[in-house]
Amino acid sequence: MLDDWNENLMSYLQRLLPLISSLLLLFISYTPLDFFPVHNIRPAVGFVCVYYWLIHRPDLFNLLSVYFLGLVDDIISNVPFGANIFSMLVLYVLLNSLVRFFNGKPFVITWYGFMIMSFAAFFTKWLILSIYYAQFLPFSMVFFSFMFTVAVYPFLSLVLAFVQNNMIADEE
Amino acid sequence: MKRRKSLFIHFSNIRKLAKKFALVLLFLSAFILMLINKTDTILIEKTSSVVTDVLSPVIDVFVVPAKAVAGVYDYFKELKQIRTDNKKLRDENRYLMGILDRAKALEIENNLLANMLNYTPPPEAKYVTARVIAEEGDAFSHSLIAYTGHINKVKKGQVALSDKGVVGRIDKVGEMYSKIILITDINSKIPVMVERTRVRGILSGDNTPYPKMIFIPLEAELSVGDRIVTSGVAGVFPAGLPIGRISSIEKNNVKVTTFSNLDRLEYIKLVDYNLDDVLID
Repeated sequence: MLDDWNENLMSYLQRLLPLISSLLLLFISYTPLDFFPVHNIRPAVGFVCVYYWLIHRPDLFNLLSVYFLGLVDDIISNVPFGANIFSMLVLYVLLNSLVRFFNGKPFVITWYGFMIMSFAAFFTKWLILSIYYAQFLPFSMVFFSFMFTVAVYPFLSLVLAFVQNNMIADEE
Repeated sequence: MKRRKSLFIHFSNIRKLAKKFALVLLFLSAFILMLINKTDTILIEKTSSVVTDVLSPVIDVFVVPAKAVAGVYDYFKELKQIRTDNKKLRDENRYLMGILDRAKALEIENNLLANMLNYTPPPEAKYVTARVIAEEGDAFSHSLIAYTGHINKVKKGQVALSDKGVVGRIDKVGEMYSKIILITDINSKIPVMVERTRVRGILSGDNTPYPKMIFIPLEAELSVGDRIVTSGVAGVFPAGLPIGRISSIEKNNVKVTTFSNLDRLEYIKLVDYNLDDVLID
């Protein structure tokens, strides 16, 4: 009885691991560290996590996970509530139809895919915030954030792959 | 049996329908959140302060280990810098000693003149030093979360300073944690003046590292390198706090480089100038 209970709890925690690992990476990305290259620009960890988990374990990272991650990102950052949620939902919609295409493809292809998808997400965020503030936000900075996020994608996906391969049971 | 089956089919249909519309509903909720943010700032502010208080300790847990990892990288980076920094600091120290002597003399002279004029000095400021636990500085927002809040009698609108000058102001105050808008953020507007010519304007952040000075008179005399300080207009920020230097002057575009390195803030000083009438909590 107790074993069953433990097993259920463990399987429930495993199902939550993609979201928990994404949240932890998100928190770390906001800590004040000195090695960010220029002007405190940080990678958009939320986009990386949404992309990675939707491709590799869409069964464990659903629409609500995307929404929750976006909400937490909105709370920590100082952007208007809803902006990160909106852009992550756009990423979700774009990816939802292409998950099958990316599944099982070499890493380079998924990396290129991330480049295109995250650009759309960055652009959406830039657009809605420009409308919100009624002035265009500096696109060069957005582009730099985008490039930096694309550049760190392999490292972050390594961390997420470690979580996927060592902590989460295979898909049944 | 048949009824149970039809009920089950009915329920699964509702689930399918809900799934289909969940995405639309979530998009809509994000949009509504943005609208509320635009119209009802008090509700958002209070919610944000409470939730920041809940989330910030979690981020705080990661600060020390993350810094330890980053520390190895910093160690090697700083090793290269130490020699040149040392020489620079010695020269700077010699120069500052000279300034200190002059400042002491001026302080005495100032006190004498103030006494003669029956001048009422501004109220003495109270300081709270706070540790920075989270920061962001991309195209969308420039802000910090600091480990201080109502518990330290910190109020919304108070000035945040580094050792070199103004870095921003408190935007949201929680019980233990506060959010600070940096002077480079798009929401930051500070009355400033050029120290040399006393020309006034507004320092407006635009989410780039170089805020711009706007509303400057057409005939204003400005030059690159001029020091920009707070003007004290509107009473929220006291006059004379250092902010930065003019880095470029183009047509209708005066850019300022801040004295404080806003990317490398570990501690900030929150100053209470007893401006309770002006600051709204």
